[in-house]
Amino acid sequence: MATIESIQKAYIDFVLTEGAQPKSVYIFAKKNKMTEEEFYRFFSSFDAIEQHLWTGFAEKTIAEIKAQEVWVQYNAREKGLSFFYGFFELLKSSRSFVVYSVKKQPKTFSTPQIFTGLKDVFEAFCNELIEEGIETNEFSDRKHFTKRYKDALWVQLVFVLNFWINDNSAGFEKTDEAIEKGINVTFDLFQRSPIDNLFEYGKFLAKNGGIKESMGFGHN
Amino acid sequence: MPHYLNKIDMSDNTPKEQNSIPTSKVQRSAKFVTTGLKVGGNYIKHYSKKLFNPDLDKTELNEDNASDIYESLSELKGSALKVAQMLSMDKNLLPQAYTDKFSQSQYNAPPLSGPLIVQTFKKYFGKTPDKIYDKFNVRSSNAASIGQVHEAELNGKKLAVKIQYPGVGDSISSDLKLVKPFAFRLLGMSEKELDIYMKEVEERLLEETDYELEVRRSIEFSEACSGLDNVVFPKYYPQLSSKRIITMDWLEGLHLKEFLKTNPSQSLRNLIGQGLWDFYNFQQHELRAIHADPHPGNFMITPDNKLGVIDFGCIKEMPEDFYEPFFSLTSTTLMENKEETIKAFRQLEMIHPGDTPKQIEFYYTTYRQMISLFAKPYINDSFDFGQSAFFEELYGFGEKVSKMPEFKQARGVKHFIYVNRTNFGLYNILHELKANVKTDTFKPHVVEQFA
Repeated sequence: MATIESIQKAYIDFVLTEGAQPKSVYIFAKKNKMTEEEFYRFFSSFDAIEQHLWTGFAEKTIAEIKAQEVWVQYNAREKGLSFFYGFFELLKSSRSFVVYSVKKQPKTFSTPQIFTGLKDVFEAFCNELIEEGIETNEFSDRKHFTKRYKDALWVQLVFVLNFWINDNSAGFEKTDEAIEKGINVTFDLFQRSPIDNLFEYGKFLAKNGGIKESMGFGHN
Repeated sequence: MPHYLNKIDMSDNTPKEQNSIPTSKVQRSAKFVTTGLKVGGNYIKHYSKKLFNPDLDKTELNEDNASDIYESLSELKGSALKVAQMLSMDKNLLPQAYTDKFSQSQYNAPPLSGPLIVQTFKKYFGKTPDKIYDKFNVRSSNAASIGQVHEAELNGKKLAVKIQYPGVGDSISSDLKLVKPFAFRLLGMSEKELDIYMKEVEERLLEETDYELEVRRSIEFSEACSGLDNVVFPKYYPQLSSKRIITMDWLEGLHLKEFLKTNPSQSLRNLIGQGLWDFYNFQQHELRAIHADPHPGNFMITPDNKLGVIDFGCIKEMPEDFYEPFFSLTSTTLMENKEETIKAFRQLEMIHPGDTPKQIEFYYTTYRQMISLFAKPYINDSFDFGQSAFFEELYGFGEKVSKMPEFKQARGVKHFIYVNRTNFGLYNILHELKANVKTDTFKPHVVEQFA
């Protein structure tokens, strides 16, 4: 009897041995002694398997980091960092598949189909911690930009993923550095900064009007 | 001529790295570039002022340079911080303004994030720290130059867990390349001469990043030194240590500065000073290898008034062909024999084969003076390190020598760097302690005639 796990396992084994997806579901099912119907009961296509695997990586990471004793002591920034470290630690055990899966994606600006589930889970997680960060005043609430915070983190995730794929330092130490430095910078941008103060000052001047008059010293 | 300009070109030519590594060589080099520019600017400021006021001395310039260099170094971690620490130890080489600023860098470094610490444990032990220790504090209690220290507890024992910053080893070599043009400016040596010394420094620094080696050595040294009175070492736990993590007992106690604030009595100061003296001289003369990082942060004064030694990251081994000529010079009998003294100087490359008779005479006289100063504590059976006169003479001599054109060119074998740093570091700490110590406890082994 086929299960989600057994199909995933067989699929990973196939793509890593052959270097490509099976020609058809029929061939794949036959090779693994199941019916096509059994396959379709769980997945609609090969890409759906990959999508499911990626979503699983994120879900597993989140469950794992939340189970750590220190989780409750972390602030929002640390929770975010914790996801990145946990995620890439987890990917290590499936590195060959990850490299295969990422490399075959066309280089486009839109999110490839197989990452959509991952993106949803990741963004939900980010929204949670951004909300927390704003509540505790760790991050600055900027009307139109706050909604974009999660996008910045997604860009970082894609960046680090590519970085990790090309990382050949022992123990992927460079990736750790990229996370420690890069993600911290992203979170720095969410914090209250001089720009916010400048905006506030601008708003104050606008509201308290009379800018034109007060600028001209030469009035009588 | 202006070396910082070369550096700008270099960073412009490496756009590939800039794309792939967020904060690496390029950004670090940019950091050094701006400092290089500032230092250059300080020189311009100084010389333009000097045009109008020929009597201006270099104090202001030195202060400007020191604060710019310090500001830039304190924003960098790892080896740059280490170099700063190193320069701060060599008070004899640097004017006062540099050292005051640099000694600040011995204390601050921005901490690692909690998640990275958890990640480091998962990587090396497959477990999070709370699964390894009964208690583990993710907030670090203090910074070590290439890592940070955390408090933990296991089976009722308080532990100190040292964790290394990632990527330190990699950045050492590139950092040193960046430091070079500066060091060369600061010390006034040519780059080629500096190379031999830089290599020695690089070797030691790279050793320091190997925590497995450090644990092995810490155990070896603490066992070898276990017979010394009033010196204690933490216990190390190899099974709880790895390439990037060291677990050892937590030593309770005060750092030197805090200890001095408690106004310790003279006899207590002597006791601690004696511990230090014995610790170093036992290593030098019996083990022929020394804990070569005598900055005050590596020592604790425990509640029962013993000297606690932490951090065996930096060990300098002294080969026989260095030890014998160098320490024999501490013997007055040898020093009175000019021919044998010159032989020793030649072996130590303080006098070069190509030197003219006039040069030989000059270096003989100057080095003899320098070494007799250094050897003063060894002459009698005790020495009062509290007296400022000795130190003023020492620094004064250092400053004088650093201005002599004859010393523009570097002399002396590479082993001097760490041996000098250690001994001057030791003298400095003893001076701060104002300790009077018995100096005949572990005597140098001397040879009075060379083959």
